[in-house]
Amino acid sequence: MIFTLKDVNKTYPGIVPLHVLKDINLEIERGELVSIMGASGSGKSTLLNILGILDNYDSGEYLLDGVLIKNLGENKAAELRNRMIGFVFQSFNLISYKNALENVALPLFYQGVSRRKRNAMAMEQLERMGLADRAHHLPGELSGGQKQRVAIARALVTNPSIILADEPTGALDSKTSKEVMEVFRTLNADGMTVIIVTHDPGVGAATNRIIRISDGRIEPAPSHV
Amino acid sequence: MLRNSFFDIENWREIGATLARNKTRTFLTAFGIFWGTAMLTMLWGGAHGLEGIMRRQFAGFATNSGGVFPGTTSMPYLGYNKGMSWDLTEQDLANIRRVSPYMEYSTPINGARVTAVYNDRSKSAYSMGVESEYSKIMIPIVYEGRLINDSDVRNHRKVAIIGKNIAGEIFGNESPVGKRVSLNGIHFLIVGVAGQKGDASFGGRIDDSFMLPSTTMRRAFNQGTTVHYIIFTSLPGHTPKDNEPFIRRAICSNHPLNPKDERAIGFMDVSENFEIVDKLFLGLSLLALFVGAGSLMAGVIGVGNIMWIIVKERTQEIGIRRAIGAKPLDIIVQILSESIVLTTISGIGGVCFATLVLGIADMVAADPKHGMPGFQTDFNTAIAILATFLVLGTAAGLLPAFKAMKIKPVEAMRDK
Repeated sequence: MIFTLKDVNKTYPGIVPLHVLKDINLEIERGELVSIMGASGSGKSTLLNILGILDNYDSGEYLLDGVLIKNLGENKAAELRNRMIGFVFQSFNLISYKNALENVALPLFYQGVSRRKRNAMAMEQLERMGLADRAHHLPGELSGGQKQRVAIARALVTNPSIILADEPTGALDSKTSKEVMEVFRTLNADGMTVIIVTHDPGVGAATNRIIRISDGRIEPAPSHV
Repeated sequence: MLRNSFFDIENWREIGATLARNKTRTFLTAFGIFWGTAMLTMLWGGAHGLEGIMRRQFAGFATNSGGVFPGTTSMPYLGYNKGMSWDLTEQDLANIRRVSPYMEYSTPINGARVTAVYNDRSKSAYSMGVESEYSKIMIPIVYEGRLINDSDVRNHRKVAIIGKNIAGEIFGNESPVGKRVSLNGIHFLIVGVAGQKGDASFGGRIDDSFMLPSTTMRRAFNQGTTVHYIIFTSLPGHTPKDNEPFIRRAICSNHPLNPKDERAIGFMDVSENFEIVDKLFLGLSLLALFVGAGSLMAGVIGVGNIMWIIVKERTQEIGIRRAIGAKPLDIIVQILSESIVLTTISGIGGVCFATLVLGIADMVAADPKHGMPGFQTDFNTAIAILATFLVLGTAAGLLPAFKAMKIKPVEAMRDK
């Protein structure tokens, strides 16, 4: 099991506390291609944040690759993220004043990899995404699909074992969405664990398992293919 | 894993990029710092230069000198009414020299207005009779020839030192040395041309006077044994004031003056005036420091402000960086290095600008006799100002940097 969640609860404090995740139990195996689906406000993004060690949870247990992830320091969390998880975001979240190559190389910068080496590694990932000729373009000069592929290259550059994607096709048209999903499927075929949060049934259908979440609870899954 | 991304070229490229992104704001902030350092440096150097200008008034004037002159009695004594005036004599000078333990150099000074005649030119001027030690107390500039020496005084020689200005008026471009000039009908051999360094003087300005041996002067102009006043310097480690009780006693033993009558004997201690000038310029320097520190603070607060705005603007970007593996320390280093770079560059610019302005002021205020008055901030002070700025600039970046550090990677997910 690469992800194991036992009775995980998460409440956002406030005047009216918001109980967003209720007794989540979930297991995901290494090499799975999973989508987490649910309506807006169902808690799917919070679940992704917890899986990605971007957010804390209140009770229960979360084991990432057998390691208990609970109340980690910022530094430890950053290190785990950097080593194990690649993130892909809906709005691409590329840094606008850096070209594609520099964006892809940024996680390696934070790993302390030398400039020459990280540029070579970043170039390799861009080639893998078929964007070698766009390496020196700024994000503003790229199409939506190209931006998302740059973002995926950035997620892959640290050679993680997991890709977490938050609505990766949310800002793309259907044709481009298909292309991007094809990329994820290829990655999965190469052994990568891929988890995609989406509300697009088409995207969900392109994955091997759909985890449906509504009102903070995981629905029983009849459709384990 | 320890790494110092401060020195990574990527870090520098990012600093450049972020600072260049909002040019107007970067410029205004940089200008604040620039002006702060420039003000501090200019004020500091300016105070220094003013002091230089002030000091050159006193150039050549021994700072430990004092003077004794006859006053008017304010107390009746031995049957004499108050309000009596009296004269110093050669005897007093001899007594004073004998009893004052802390006196180094001394000279009597006698003055008289004379009409100087050379060929068909005549000129009214001040002449003063001095002894050789005069030039140890008021150090003159000798343009030509020599000054009064002991032998002139001992032998009542009819020699004169002519002031530079009168020499010009009477002799034009001719050299006066070796010529004879008539002062009130008595012929004197001119042996030297002199002038004074500063503006302050005892008696007349050397440049506009004749200097004669005191003995010759008294004899030639019928002044008997009268000495108009005495100037002297104190020994190193003593002030002229230390000699005052001895001088007063020496004089009172020779004249019917009440020993308690302060006003009967005029006494002047120049070192006290110099002390006042010293304090004045200490005050001026402190004022410069205070005002300069104010503009410095304003500049530093400006840096803090822009860094704060930059952090707010880049919340999402910082979130992304955190999500892809930046540790809190990486973010702090990045924000701090931006404020350090901004401070360093504009600070150096400010010091350079101030140096330029001070250099121009120095050239404008320079005069041929004294050179430049010293509108300067020395290298160490400039470095100290820069260092202060750097420390404060870093401190100003700290608050925004910690704010940036607190940004959670989840922020990257928001604002879609």
